Amino acid sequence: MTTQTFPTGTHPSADDPSVLVEDDYAFYEPIPPYPPRTEREAEFYTLGDGEMFLNMGPQHPSTHGVLRVVLKLDGERVVDIDPVLGYLHRGVEKLVENADYHQTISQVDPLEYISSLFCEWAPVTAYEQLLDVEVPRRAEYIRVLSGELNRIASHALFLGWFALDLGGLTPILWSFIERDEIVEMLAALTGQRMLFNYYRIGGVNGDLNHEFMSRLGDWMSRAIGQIEAGTGLLNENEIFVRRASGLGVIDTETALRFCMTGPNLRATGLPFDIRRAHPYSIYPELEFDIPTRTEGDSLARFLVRMEEVKQSLRIIDQCLEKMPDGPIMAKLPRLLRPRPGRAWAAVEGPRGMYGAYAISDGTDQPFRLKIHDPSFIHLQAVGALLPGNLLADTMAIMASLDPIMGGVDK
Amino acid sequence: MTALGRTWDRLTLPGRALLILVPLLAILLIGLIVVIGLFGGQILDILIFNLPIVRFVFAATVLLLLSPPIAFVIIYMEMKVIALMNLRIGPDRVGPWGSLLSTVHGLKVLMKEDFTPSRADPVVFTWAPVVTFVTMPLSVLVIPFAPGLFGQDFNIGLLYFFAVGGLTVVGLLMGGWSSFNKYSLIGGLRSAAQIVSYEIPLTLSVVGLIILAGTMSLNSIVQQQGIWIDASGVSHGSGWFTDWFALRQPLGFVIFAIAATAEANRTPFDLTEADSEIVAGFSTEYSGMRFGFFYFAEYIGVFIISALTTVLFLGGWNAPFPFPHISWVVDPGSLGIGLLFVVALVPLLGTLLFAAPFYLFRSKTRWWVALIIGFVLFNVAVAGLVGLWAYINFDWVAGLFWFLGKTFTLVFVFVWMRGTLPRVRIDQLMGFAWKWLLPASLLNLFITALGVLAVDWLRKGGA
Repeated sequence: MTTQTFPTGTHPSADDPSVLVEDDYAFYEPIPPYPPRTEREAEFYTLGDGEMFLNMGPQHPSTHGVLRVVLKLDGERVVDIDPVLGYLHRGVEKLVENADYHQTISQVDPLEYISSLFCEWAPVTAYEQLLDVEVPRRAEYIRVLSGELNRIASHALFLGWFALDLGGLTPILWSFIERDEIVEMLAALTGQRMLFNYYRIGGVNGDLNHEFMSRLGDWMSRAIGQIEAGTGLLNENEIFVRRASGLGVIDTETALRFCMTGPNLRATGLPFDIRRAHPYSIYPELEFDIPTRTEGDSLARFLVRMEEVKQSLRIIDQCLEKMPDGPIMAKLPRLLRPRPGRAWAAVEGPRGMYGAYAISDGTDQPFRLKIHDPSFIHLQAVGALLPGNLLADTMAIMASLDPIMGGVDK
Repeated sequence: MTALGRTWDRLTLPGRALLILVPLLAILLIGLIVVIGLFGGQILDILIFNLPIVRFVFAATVLLLLSPPIAFVIIYMEMKVIALMNLRIGPDRVGPWGSLLSTVHGLKVLMKEDFTPSRADPVVFTWAPVVTFVTMPLSVLVIPFAPGLFGQDFNIGLLYFFAVGGLTVVGLLMGGWSSFNKYSLIGGLRSAAQIVSYEIPLTLSVVGLIILAGTMSLNSIVQQQGIWIDASGVSHGSGWFTDWFALRQPLGFVIFAIAATAEANRTPFDLTEADSEIVAGFSTEYSGMRFGFFYFAEYIGVFIISALTTVLFLGGWNAPFPFPHISWVVDPGSLGIGLLFVVALVPLLGTLLFAAPFYLFRSKTRWWVALIIGFVLFNVAVAGLVGLWAYINFDWVAGLFWFLGKTFTLVFVFVWMRGTLPRVRIDQLMGFAWKWLLPASLLNLFITALGVLAVDWLRKGGA
């Protein structure tokens, strides 16, 4: 440890501008100011021969939010990493305990702000299990339709960010065109561009309207072509393929040990999808494949997501075809008091299993709502994947796991 | 109190400055006229006697002054072209189609605070951008823009270019080292590793060309890609683009293009300022005009590398096809008094002629709007005619036209690559230089030498 700072009050001359004042805040060392609290911390914050610390984030151009990672580098090679979480902690799970059941939906909305519909879907389903409510079929179809649209928007953003972290400028702007169109049509449906607050306990907030349907029809006619153009810009590019393939390889057993789900797990070859493994909503009635790849590297994760976009388009087509008439809300009292008990519900979000564990004590507020967030789970794997790789690949590996810091820090 | 004193008291500060400066300038001007009148011949003799030095000073000044405008043009080009590739609009507010935005950027960096981090090494930190920037005009010095339009014609011009161009890395390393920032340090060291590695294939790839051309003077290399007469009076070349070295040295051209991209720190080799990894590389801690110098140096570097590629491989100032010899002599004196009528009437008639269709066939156009459109169109037409006349009558205009056309096409290719390609990794970058480019350039050298020997042997009758 080579930190040399002057203790407060003993500066050579704080008022004399000709003397270089080396303030505690004049430069920044990633080493924490307190003595190490665990063995792991003591081991990490001791430099070996020729190693140095590099503090990445929370204000780094490409840490996907406010993730801070302290890297221990040997030249360009990463020796060890120490992720520092909590910069976006908002205490959502605690806030939820002081709101009634309807209000919690808007509280959990901004967790995974890229795909907020799934943040609502899991708790809403858990509450419905607590209340024993039958959701109308039209409401279920609308949920699936809007959810799959949100999944496409999320994967489009992933494509852009992944390319940007590998140095490509264009894909993010191309994919933002698609994402913006989806977000606009969801805004026509739900009233919001980003934090939709659309699903309700026992249904959805509003019925399909003319603007949403016409925008959706316009977009569906050109969606496949646009998405293939954006994907082709990357996976037909020699530099991109060479960088992404063999990068951050994870095998199925390790992935399962980390509790990874979603595209990151499917990229290792295991076709585990909540929509098929533990069916919910109307997914048993729909036809779609579960794309998998066996490589388990960043390129596989990218390609699995792009295949999923095509499957989502298939699902949307079927939803539009089979959309039944009927009510969009179950008949429920305004103030909900579920029976005391526990309920677990999980949905397949764009990043993996998005779960909610709700405990009711019979009052109008949930006693506890535990959110199981895939981003947090996947971020654990970074510690196993990064060491041994180059500095340039830290961001690429992190981007290929697609974590959203809002969901990690809650 | 005199009248002058009372006037002095009433004047503002600029007025007082003018009151001193105007008489001073008048006296100096008169003195200059007197000196030129008395010793003009001798001064001219001295200047002509020291022509290389005068030429050098003049060229260096002109190139230093030309560097920012070239950088502005390329920065605007990059902003606009990448915007169009990204399906954005790009700059569209300042100037026509946003074309003045890069100039405004230049003014902005001039006005920003010039900040030095407290732990930085202030001397090295201050001089790093200067070192980086000054090498750029120095290397433009040997580039022939057009017949007779070049700074210096060294017989070791190519060697000088590589020597001076390699100095850039010193500035980048200085900036990276002195910033007291680990991102800067990594960026500076990356640039050192990268430029040192790519110097070798870059230099080796043109050795084959030097064998073919038999000279390192850039001027002669360009001449040998057109119609030229060698020392023994034999005429060579067809005047077509088939004479260009790109077609005689295809492998060398490819290697040179790749290594030049790395040398100019451009995508996909822009690891020194990879924003997704090391924030802004060596320029992370720089602000204000010091950052501006780095920025300008980068874009002038793009221009220089494109210009060198044009000179070496794409025929320099030579047109891609032999231009038919046209004689177009304009002799205003032969018109006599008619010249006055031409000067007086042609603008008027021309404006009316160009304005007439807009007024007659579009009922919504007001007469004065039509007149303005007509005047502008007339001027465009006259400028085109004058340009055509200059192209036919002056070699250097034609040469400059083709040279800048080719150079900016290459600049466009650099921008295009930036809009399309992701960045390579540092180990891939170094591996590519040492494992592929270096053997390939050696192979190119070997093949060229063998070919030259074989041609010589055949010429001597196969004995």
